[in-house]
Amino acid sequence: MAHNRVLQWATFARSWWIYDAYHQCPFESAKRLCIFLQGQHKPIYHPLSDIGDHVVVINTKDISMKNEYWRKWRFHHHTGYPGGYSQTSAWRLHDLDDTKILHKAVYSRLPGNLLRRRMMRRLHLFPDTEVPDDILQNVTDQIRQVQLIPKPIHKYSKEDIDNFPKLFDWPEEYVIDYSKKKKDEDTEKYF
Amino acid sequence: MSSSSIPSTFLKNVLNNGIGRYVCQLQRITFVFCKQKGDSRGTRDFIENKLLDFTNNNPGVAVYLQPRNNRSPKLVAEYLNGGRESIVTAKMSEDEINKWLEHLRGRSGIKIARIRKPQHTENPSVQGVWHPFTNKDSSLNKTQFPIQELSEVPHETTTTDKLLEIAKKLRETDVSMKE
Repeated sequence: MAHNRVLQWATFARSWWIYDAYHQCPFESAKRLCIFLQGQHKPIYHPLSDIGDHVVVINTKDISMKNEYWRKWRFHHHTGYPGGYSQTSAWRLHDLDDTKILHKAVYSRLPGNLLRRRMMRRLHLFPDTEVPDDILQNVTDQIRQVQLIPKPIHKYSKEDIDNFPKLFDWPEEYVIDYSKKKKDEDTEKYF
Repeated sequence: MSSSSIPSTFLKNVLNNGIGRYVCQLQRITFVFCKQKGDSRGTRDFIENKLLDFTNNNPGVAVYLQPRNNRSPKLVAEYLNGGRESIVTAKMSEDEINKWLEHLRGRSGIKIARIRKPQHTENPSVQGVWHPFTNKDSSLNKTQFPIQELSEVPHETTTTDKLLEIAKKLRETDVSMKE
């Protein structure tokens, strides 16, 4: 074939992906992003060949963690000196740097070989949707999110809320919203 | 000796030889032998008894006889592609030499080397080599990323949806009952 050399370039060309981390679990996301960083989504994948793609991640400040993870998940660090150990909870690390949790999640997910640092350099993390133009114009495809974004109550219309099936009605004096609580004169006099 | 230092090739054939027609690749064979030494005896016997049969059967092969005093006998084969192969036939019997001669006649002239893969093709792919844009929707070329449709998890019918559907039906039947 006449253009074998050019076909080779096309086959091994690096493509750029974008991923929206809004309300996504960082650990589940890392599992998916590693596939693209390593190039496992390509039919030509081989662990020794450096054919990973670039991944641009936006909205890292809006990642979500399940259960009590924001308080209870801890990141460990040791400087190597005696007494150099420290641990930081997830919320605190996120407060210090809102791209750090995803960075650490992906780094620990990647295989510990010589390609790891190089693959990490192809991960571009942005706390919000503001991405420099020279990066965004490279993007050719999007990675699907790992979990459904929960719909908050204020996004539902009044009609939807009223039509939601109920087994019973709350009694009149049951307080759901304390800001709308009526003043009760019987109890008020004791204070 | 490591396997990487042994010469290696891919499986190959000379001009699709044997597919449709066969051209004998052996063009010239030289018998080097000594007239008096004992280790050339098999070679001398071969020349006396069997060589004419070989030449009759293979008119396309030029045969040379080179008597060389006090040297060990050998067969030197030269091929169409310029390849050259020699086999020392010292102390070999008439039949053994015949076997090696047949071996040389059947060869393509390509040097024997470690073959990397048991199969080979000159046309690796009919549909074309894979690249990052094969089987991709061409509308992605004009898409301004990021977009919501490609990002969100596709919605599947949940139990909540089913319950809402049932509740809606019940409400409708309730209304019609009251009427």
